Amino acid sequence: MPENEDVWVVIPVFNEERVIADVVADVRTTFPNVVCVDDGSRDGSAERVAATRAHLVRHPVNMGQGAALQTGLSYALARSGGKYFVTFDADGQHQVEDARRMVEIARQGGADAVLGSRFLDQPRKVPAVKRLVLRAVVALSPNTRRLRLTDAHNGLRVLTRPAAERLRITMNGMAHASEIVSQLAKARVPVVEVPVTILYTEYSMSKGQSLINGVNILFDLSVRQRG
Amino acid sequence: MWIQALLLAVIAVVLIVFVRRWYGVRMQAGKRIAFFAFLAVNAWAVVRPNDVTWMANRLGVGRGADLVLYLLVAGFALATLNTYLRFRELDRRFTDLTRTLAIREAELVNRERGLLESQHEHPAVLPGQQH
Repeated sequence: MPENEDVWVVIPVFNEERVIADVVADVRTTFPNVVCVDDGSRDGSAERVAATRAHLVRHPVNMGQGAALQTGLSYALARSGGKYFVTFDADGQHQVEDARRMVEIARQGGADAVLGSRFLDQPRKVPAVKRLVLRAVVALSPNTRRLRLTDAHNGLRVLTRPAAERLRITMNGMAHASEIVSQLAKARVPVVEVPVTILYTEYSMSKGQSLINGVNILFDLSVRQRG
Repeated sequence: MWIQALLLAVIAVVLIVFVRRWYGVRMQAGKRIAFFAFLAVNAWAVVRPNDVTWMANRLGVGRGADLVLYLLVAGFALATLNTYLRFRELDRRFTDLTRTLAIREAELVNRERGLLESQHEHPAVLPGQQH
């Protein structure tokens, strides 16, 4: 069996036609199984994905990154043979090498959920305003505090099948990251955080989370009906 | 003044309903009772406007019209909240439906692209696909 055949990489895609083909190609050098969830992009993202060897799931309308992640996970979980599930951002800010390292940690039984963190290693490289927003989100979510996580909103995660099966992402917008942490904490899934490198290119900066988004996240979380 | 206590209480209720997950049968029944009480008070206010003024004075509000306005604002806030929660529930159902359809469609498409059956056959990196 080829290496990492039991790993599925889930990439939510929204208007990423400029980079998505390269990101998929890059990921596929290490992980053969990739599923891209096109979240109703208005550009040519879906066509770009279709030209690669990645699986393509298309939301007919835009529903948000959280919804796309859950769709990708559901699709990947339905494929037999998947043991590890990686969530990966489409804008090219994550390193495949980091993902490979995190899968190794999960394989060694270190934890059922391995989460990437921007702050364990290289806090200086994160822009100041962004650092403030992300810190605030961490401080305000009790589960993140309890698990002693430093970064609640990193898109790079590795989940084992039992952990992935437990997730039910209902926050369609950006609050899903806190929701994932909260569900993992509630289900007592063993979690570890590992330092990862984020490439803050101009492109990914223009798509990342802004201060305004932080407000939206806090609002979504405070009004959720089911924890 | 009593009116302040009353209005603050309404705001508190809105907040609590917002943050906690109160839903289900009791909530539903509560809303319906509140609606009928609202209708009854409306009818009463139309028939005997002076009673509204009397009530307003008792609560520390100058005119009956002001009291009506205050309660209207409070009622509007509750109605907005109700609509918001309803929309979220609808959104959740819509997401589930869309996801089911998207995955079913994707399985057909990806099978046609030769990805699903040959999944275990193709090598990790196909020639020419290296980045």
